[in-house]
Formats: sequence, C-alpha cells, structure tokens
Amino acid sequence: MSACLDPGTASSETSAAAAAVRRCWDTRPEAALVLGTGLHRLSGWIRTEAEIPYAAVPHFPRSTAPGHSGRLVCGRFAGKTIVALDGRCHGYEGYSAATLMLPVLTMRELGAEVLILSNASGGLNPSFASGDVVVVSDHLNLMFWKPPPWPPAGPRGVPSGAVVCDRQPGAPVYDPALVSQALDVSRREGFAAHRGVYVGVTGPNYETRAEYRFLRQIGADVVGMSTVPEAVAAARCGLRTLALSIVTNVARPDCPEVVRAEDVVRDAERAEPHVRTIMAQVVADPWPVLPAADKTS
Amino acid sequence: MLELYDRIQAAVAAIRSRWATQPHAGIILGTGLGGLAQKIAVEAAFDYEAIPHFPRSTTPTHRGRLVCGHLDGLPVMAMEGRFHFYEGYSLKEISLPVRVMRALGARLLVVSNACGGMNPSYRCGDIMVIEDHINLMGDNPLIGVNDDRLGPRFPDMSEPYEQKLVARALEVARREGIRAHRGVFVAVPGPNLETRAEYRFLRGIGADVVGMSTVPEVIVAVHCGLRVVGFSIVTDMCLPDELEPANVEKIIAVANEAEPKLCALVMGVLAGEKVS
Repeated sequence: MSACLDPGTASSETSAAAAAVRRCWDTRPEAALVLGTGLHRLSGWIRTEAEIPYAAVPHFPRSTAPGHSGRLVCGRFAGKTIVALDGRCHGYEGYSAATLMLPVLTMRELGAEVLILSNASGGLNPSFASGDVVVVSDHLNLMFWKPPPWPPAGPRGVPSGAVVCDRQPGAPVYDPALVSQALDVSRREGFAAHRGVYVGVTGPNYETRAEYRFLRQIGADVVGMSTVPEAVAAARCGLRTLALSIVTNVARPDCPEVVRAEDVVRDAERAEPHVRTIMAQVVADPWPVLPAADKTS
Repeated sequence: MLELYDRIQAAVAAIRSRWATQPHAGIILGTGLGGLAQKIAVEAAFDYEAIPHFPRSTTPTHRGRLVCGHLDGLPVMAMEGRFHFYEGYSLKEISLPVRVMRALGARLLVVSNACGGMNPSYRCGDIMVIEDHINLMGDNPLIGVNDDRLGPRFPDMSEPYEQKLVARALEVARREGIRAHRGVFVAVPGPNLETRAEYRFLRGIGADVVGMSTVPEVIVAVHCGLRVVGFSIVTDMCLPDELEPANVEKIIAVANEAEPKLCALVMGVLAGEKVS
C-alpha cells in the first residue's frame, strides 16, 4: 500500500523537512512512533540507522520540555522499518498547532502508514492506577488553538489515483483495529491497560481540583497537554493512529495531592516496558485489514 | 519569555526608586472596589503609565494606579484597577504586576473581583471566598519557554488558594455577621456576558460564580510562589431560568455597597498575617 499526503496537507514545509530527512536516511519507514514523557529509553530498542536532531530539519520545532531530547531516530524496530520522534514539542512551549503537526505530516510524507503516539497523563477515572496504560479510544480537544493555515482538504472519498489513504475517510481518529490489538497485547502479557478518552488541555500548570472534576464530568478518563495536535494531523493526512497514555498519577479531587514533574517522569519511565511491549507487538504484527467503510457509519 | 525577567526588573526599579519598603501583601482591587485603597496610609502612588511595561487600564470603572503604603500597620501595595483579557492584553501582560509584587518581596496576593452568581443559594451583594477555580479563558499566562528564575515549568494546582486563609476569611465573616460563602470561580474571556445556556453549562461543570479576571493573576502567583486569597462580590445573580438583562450601573452600585464587607474581610485576613 503506498502512502502519500492528502493534497490538502502537503506543503512546502513538509516537503523541505522530508527532503532533509531523506538526505540522511533514504529509506521508507513503515511506521512512525512518537515517544512522549519518560519514554526516551524506548529509543534504545531501535536498531538505529540514522539520528537526526530536530535542529537539522527545517521548520521542525525545538523541544524545551524536561525529559524530551528532540531528535529523529530512524532504523529497525520489531522487524519493521520505523522513524521515531524522540522528544516532542508542546503547545505550552509557545508553538502553534501547525508547527506541532508538521513532524507527523513529515513522517507521513516519508511513507509511514501507521502512527503510534505515546504520552504521560493524569488519571481522572478513579479505577485507574499510577503506571496503568490507557489505549486512547477518542479525545476531547480543549487546547483552544488557532486553526492551522491549511488549504481546504481535497474532495473526500474520490480516488484521484495518485492519493491513497491508509485511513478510511471519516473513520475514527484512533484506529479501532489497532486499539483492539493493543488491548489484546496487554491481556496476553498480563498487565493493566484500559480503553479511555484523553482530554488535551493547554497547560503548563497541572489542573485544579475543580478542573479535574469538570474534565471527568465531560467524559475524559485521562488529561494531558499533547497528542491531540498529532492525532488530528494524522487523521488529516490519512495515517492510521494508535495512542498509548501512561497514567502517572490519579487525580483525587477530594483528597488532593501535589503533582511534581519529576514524579510524572519517574512514573512514566517505570511503565515504559509495558508501552514498549505494546508498541513492539503492534508494529510487528501484520496490521489488521481496514474496517469496511460502512462500519463507521 | 526570557525578556519578561528584565521587564520585571525595570518595573521593580521604578517602584523602588520612590518606595523602599518590602511589601508583605499585594492587593488587586477589582470592579468598583477601589475604595479599600483609601484605607491605606499612602507612602507612594504610581500611575500605571509611570511604571515601565505596565499595561494601561481601559475599563471605565478602573482607575489605573498603584498605591504603596501601610494598611493597618502592614506594608502593602494595591492595584486600583486591573487589566482584562477582553481589553486585548495578553495574559502575560495582565499578570506582570503580580510578578513585580513578588520581586519586590511580597509573600501574599489578595485578589478581588465582581462576578455573576450562579449558585442559587447566593444573593446579590454576598461575598464568595474563592476556594478553587476553573480556567476556561482558552489561554494560559505560562505558555512559552519557561524562565526557571521565575518559577517551575509545571506548577502544581492542588491548592492555588490557601485553605487556611479561606478558613480565616470565613471566620472573620461569621464574627462580623457578613454573608460569605466558599465556592468555585470560573474564568471566561468575555467581554459579552453569558447566555442562559452558558450559565447552565458553567453551573453544571461545578462553578458557583463566573467572571472575566483573576485566574491569570492567580496562576502566575502560584507559579512564582505567592500565597493567594481571593474574594468575589456577587454583583448580579445569573440564574438561567429567571435571568434579567444585566445592568452595568446596578452591578457597580452593588459592588460599591458591598465594599465595606470586602474591606472587613481583607483587613481580618491581613490582621491574621501580623500575628502569624
């Protein structure tokens, strides 16, 4: 299956960024990974063929958050060719939504068919525990970003011959087949993973007790400051997406605890083997056949 | 973001050149509440224009003056008139005075505002001691590269309003016979007032009152390590099923009428500061 950008999202920025990556590493990745907070160590499991700092890729944002290093790692992981973003950039660092989406669009332009996102989050669902993995089934966008300056998307569902999307137009943002596959892995391996809804907020402060209650009430299971821009970009450019969230602390608004950034990073690092196991098995498996288009209606 | 530090230093220098005292508390006086400043034994006063990098207040009911001196024996600096997001200022500009207060040595921030009451047990003219807040402004004053000299990248928000001070304020209210409540403030950008559907929504997500200020200043206060106590004066009741058109003159009249009560609570909280 060939992968190429929806004409509505292809831009000179993504072309320039992809060209810079190709000059260092001229291979088509099958999958793209985004390593969030505490998951830097996962990059050690990639048989690295090229390592490119974000600074060497035109238009790429620079990561300023603690626990995020800021480089593209290209190579082999779980038997497939992959490209990974080791360290991500966030809206609270002052980047626009368009800038945050660019790395995902670039990996798509390089040829990736599947995107696996990861992040650390605060648990809102009281049945979750610190260290649990949440397989994101949907998200709520409370990031209040200005719409990215994209041209309108091309006509949907009209095969143009040149454009093949790996994701069905109108399919859920988070690929249901990949979600089930990820949950299967956790059952097989015997660790806790839940299906849940992620709410993206601007940050950078953690939430107040009143905000935790509000976010739980509107239907969120976990809260974080990333992932939504990347998932929206992936949906836009036809990437099939899986997002894995590590619950680092569970909000109990009626007996509040202080949240410290160091604890968040430490708890995320502790759960890294579980995320790695899911990522490796999902990447290694033949990706399940796309659900029929009528299944989404 | 890193130039923020220099702006703070410039504003601090301008104030220090005429007022060398270290304030214990910074006070932000909201809509119609400027009168508390009259109780201050003034040692120096600055028009906002005279302080480098301070925004100008564009709201008719806000004066635009920083008053420094002693309030009941405690060194304080009070902002007569504040800045709002709806005036077109960024949240960083709005909250700069809080960072200046901190840099001058303040330990405590006292914020006040006029708000719409959504909790049906509240009455017009009541005071709510802010127990917690919800930020629905769609923005955050800490967005951008973090300057670690000013505070942490990810501030904790489990207790933005010091619970001990909430309790102290309520104790003063009971003693003085002032109707006061403990509740949740939700901040929206405004400047339009809310629709009935929005009031239902905001009440539904757990807020007792709604306003267009305070939250950016409090987020920055927590970021830079200030203790916070906040007061809302309920200037109109916003019950969606019996909503009356808002009347700005009436709102200001209610705020002015409630002002002595707010003064009593602020003085009571500050009196506790002297002994603690």
